[in-house]
Amino acid sequence: MNKNKHLEQKLREKISRKADFDCSKVTVCVDDHNIARLTGMVESWQNVVDLGYLIAKEKKIKNVVNDVKARRAAVPAQDWESGRLQGEKIGVIACVDVVIVGGGVTGCGIARELARYDLNIALVEKEADVSEGSSKANNGMIHPGNAVMPFTLKAKMNLEGNKLYTNWADDLHFSFKRTGSLIISYSRNDLMSLLLAYIAGKINRVPGMQLLGGKSCMDKDPSIEKKPGLGLWTPTTAYVDGYEVCIALAENAAANGVRFFLDTTVCAIHMDQGRVTAVVTDQGIINCRLVINAAGVYADDVAQMADDRFFTIHPRKGSILILDKKTAGPQINVALSSRIKNKYSKGGGGLRTVSGNPLWGPSAREVPDKEDTSVISEDFDYAYQIGSSVFEHADRSDIISYFSGIRAPDYKEDFVIEESAVTDGLIHAAAIQSPGLAAAPAVARRVVSLTKSFYARTGRQLKLKDDFDPVREKPQRFAELSHAEQERLIKENPQYGNVICRCETITEGEIVAALHSPLPCRTVTGVKKRTRASAGRCQGGFCTPKIMEIMVRELQLDITDITYKGAGSNIILRKSRGDLEEKQQ
Amino acid sequence: MNKREFTCISCPLGCHLELTESQGSDLPEVTGNLCQRGIDFAREEFRAPRRVLTTVVSISGSNSLLPVISAGPIPKEKLLACLDYLKRIKVKTPVTAGDVLVENILETQVSIVAAKTVE
Amino acid sequence: MKTIKCNLLIIGAGPAGLAAAIEADRLGIRDILLLERNDELGGILQQCIHDGFGLQRFKEQLSGPAYAQRFIDEIKQSNVEIKLRTMVIELHQDKSCYAINSEDGVLEIHPQAVILAMGCRERTRNQVFILGDRPGGIMTAGTLQRYMNIEGLIPGRKAVILGSGDIGMIMARRMKLEGIEVEGVYEIMPRPGGLQRNVFQCLQDFDIPLHLSTSVKSTHGKYHLEGVTVVAVDENLKQIAGTERFIACDLLVLSVGLIPENELSEMAQIPISTVTKGPVVDNNLMTQVDGIFAAGNVTSVFDLVDYVSASGETAARGAANYIREEKQSATSIDVLAGKNVTSLIPMKYRKNGQALELYFRSKSIIRAASVHIMQQGQEIYKRKFQIVRPEEMIKLQLKADLVAAINPRQAITVEIRENGRVSDE
Repeated sequence: MNKNKHLEQKLREKISRKADFDCSKVTVCVDDHNIARLTGMVESWQNVVDLGYLIAKEKKIKNVVNDVKARRAAVPAQDWESGRLQGEKIGVIACVDVVIVGGGVTGCGIARELARYDLNIALVEKEADVSEGSSKANNGMIHPGNAVMPFTLKAKMNLEGNKLYTNWADDLHFSFKRTGSLIISYSRNDLMSLLLAYIAGKINRVPGMQLLGGKSCMDKDPSIEKKPGLGLWTPTTAYVDGYEVCIALAENAAANGVRFFLDTTVCAIHMDQGRVTAVVTDQGIINCRLVINAAGVYADDVAQMADDRFFTIHPRKGSILILDKKTAGPQINVALSSRIKNKYSKGGGGLRTVSGNPLWGPSAREVPDKEDTSVISEDFDYAYQIGSSVFEHADRSDIISYFSGIRAPDYKEDFVIEESAVTDGLIHAAAIQSPGLAAAPAVARRVVSLTKSFYARTGRQLKLKDDFDPVREKPQRFAELSHAEQERLIKENPQYGNVICRCETITEGEIVAALHSPLPCRTVTGVKKRTRASAGRCQGGFCTPKIMEIMVRELQLDITDITYKGAGSNIILRKSRGDLEEKQQ
Repeated sequence: MNKREFTCISCPLGCHLELTESQGSDLPEVTGNLCQRGIDFAREEFRAPRRVLTTVVSISGSNSLLPVISAGPIPKEKLLACLDYLKRIKVKTPVTAGDVLVENILETQVSIVAAKTVE
Repeated sequence: MKTIKCNLLIIGAGPAGLAAAIEADRLGIRDILLLERNDELGGILQQCIHDGFGLQRFKEQLSGPAYAQRFIDEIKQSNVEIKLRTMVIELHQDKSCYAINSEDGVLEIHPQAVILAMGCRERTRNQVFILGDRPGGIMTAGTLQRYMNIEGLIPGRKAVILGSGDIGMIMARRMKLEGIEVEGVYEIMPRPGGLQRNVFQCLQDFDIPLHLSTSVKSTHGKYHLEGVTVVAVDENLKQIAGTERFIACDLLVLSVGLIPENELSEMAQIPISTVTKGPVVDNNLMTQVDGIFAAGNVTSVFDLVDYVSASGETAARGAANYIREEKQSATSIDVLAGKNVTSLIPMKYRKNGQALELYFRSKSIIRAASVHIMQQGQEIYKRKFQIVRPEEMIKLQLKADLVAAINPRQAITVEIRENGRVSDE
């Protein structure tokens, strides 16, 4: 008890000394697990976040629960109650061993790896499809591990994950290019950050890094026009499309028996004397023994539902610009390591995605609303500025799309992957932010290990299934085939001869295949993520009506049922002609 | 005398027309036109405005729609009623472009014809 | 894989492609192959059910499908081979081409000449940099037109339209007539983007407000559109802070411009003009790649379909001469856009003994305008116009005898003067 009081006092002093804003209405408590809990009121949301950081910096503090409110920022209230009541009313809809909460790359990776074992698994995702959160709105970089703080769990996961990605790519056939990356420097600032990356890389044991002279940099990427000073070449950097990885994982998990409950929100967790017995979703109750919390920005809410909230997720929005594939500029990924001098900026740059589009950004902005994925002009401009410094000949007319994603960091800015210390039957895979995509295979592996230990303690040894099929067939990409292969495919199935998305040359055959995968796909955005249809120049203007026609036919839906991305985003309100009499001519 | 302003819709030039209301039975004077059509349009617009109607109608036994057009302009005040009527009919194929589908729609003396040939 | 050798390949059976095919057939060219990706002929005309088409060519105001039907009826009487539901996926500089459809599989085509008639696509929400959320309920006017006029589907209850070009205004009326509330049409420029007659018969007729110098700044809604924020702009089209206004709606219709669809042209390395966004063409409508011609909206966005058909016929004549190896003048001269002129086609002139058709636009509204074609300071041609407007493409036809006076070694310049003087831009 004494120990806590001492720590609390120390923190209070730290706040009054270091905070450059009014903290008179803030209280700090530290519990027996060294979790600091903050309550009270400050002026702005940024103040809330800065306060959280201030406390988290204290080494003795394990993590921070930040319930401080901001006078000037309204945090939207979460309503779990109406969903919970609805679910309780419906009753039990399934009984499984494990419920994974969250269908981002973390949850889907865990689902796929756990599916190897003789477990009954359900993945519950509140949106209409997997990968509707940050897993679809990131820059697709499988980081090598020199941009991550050493001696953290995320650094360890990053390194391991980067290496394991090749296995995933070989089995699951998502687009994957390990082209390496180059950081170049022109100014002294550039050089400083480059060397920092080199040092971090060395500590994190990033393999194969090389410092290159200016000319060698230009040899590596002929698109570099001005000779740089020094360059850092990292061969292990790879590129993917986050949503494609997620879908590949989910499809393989589903093919191996994992049940996916989409459009289903976890609202409560039932416990019996501190032991998990079920999750209550708005679609009903799922009995289970183990909950794996991979709920992204809502991971702290899920932790709360299980009486184990010891961290707080503070949403950090990042905006990204996507440019036309034809845009001139670096072909492999060249990052300018200079940073714009701004207290709240967090780097970013310009790179080329696995599909060949320049991607600029991301920006970084703390926001109070977990659902705030709006793009505002300041963030757009930031991403533009930072990307155009790498792609010097591009301009605004090359931009084809822009969007935001929400990172889910806690205040320690590290991953939380551990079994709950207080609740029996809860494993957290939370506070996943960059390098979450790169780390996913390692995170999954670690959670599998924690799951095995958990079950061992309950007296059950998990066994590998002998019918686990690790392979997910490579989906046909008509546009990438040779003419002879295209001919063969059309002869086999004439639907491949009907082009639906003319910008990306996506055929009806590919769309039908996506609609019949083991993982349900019932939204237009879902089709886009699986086939890339409507991701091109015209952004779906031409193909969306055609995609909908195919969905009506293949899924036996009424056209008015089809949504853009779930929950009330029905594209068509009504038919314009109905209740008709025959006209005699 | 009162002046009224219209944009002529007879051709893409869209002349800005000015019509001066006249005394008695004289035809009102029109200025701003580049051709006779403008004068005719302005006088009609003043007296009894009419519009060409275009819409689509359902085809029996098909999800397709048939584009249709009125054979001439119909009184503006009957436009919505005519559209409503056409929303509720179904037409049988084959239809040839120019076929009369509805004669003298809602007592307007104007027919609705098919704009397209559908086999 | 099926290999086809033909004399003339035409890509696209919209008004340009149809007119080109019929003219080439009429000129006696055989083995003409017309490819169309849609399941019917007519291109975009099939969804343009409003009238106003064909006044020049047919002396009647037809609806889009009716205009197309004239050509469809005629092509059925011709020797042109038509393949529907066929998409060209590759075009090479040597004119060879790959197309696919469900029956034939992959077609490898080797034509003597090609006419590109692919039309345009629409500018998207992202290309006008609308910020905010990215919900469903946002679509371009052409997509809306397809839903409403071809599929018979209504996507919303209350709409806001961005862009007062003709398509935007026509769809405003169409929505109103089909029971969708139209809150208003918003136009970033200080003048309507389309014809005055459409302001009258589409907006004023239906009490649909037109807000000039106003744009849509952001869209709101997590899943489906809940509203938009509009904002006034200044004379430099910059948004004026503090003038934002929220409008609740569930449908945002974008009518913000058309872009010639030149993906295939670029694949074949055909030089594209940065002004028209279409291929650089000569008076035969031949591109800079030998034997590849272009007609209609793929060369530049037209506003009158009559001109599109005429351009298809010009390209057909050029292609026919090419196929017959008619002697072509080796040298070409530049046709330059002078004062007040933009989007000029063709950009090159080659003596061919025929009349010269020029299409261009004025950069601004000019009253008592005169168009002058100059060569080395000498006036070759002059014509007066009561008024010229940027949204009304101008077509000039210089008769063969006048054209004979053009020096085949000096560039010619097209300019527009106001009241006999050249006005500043």
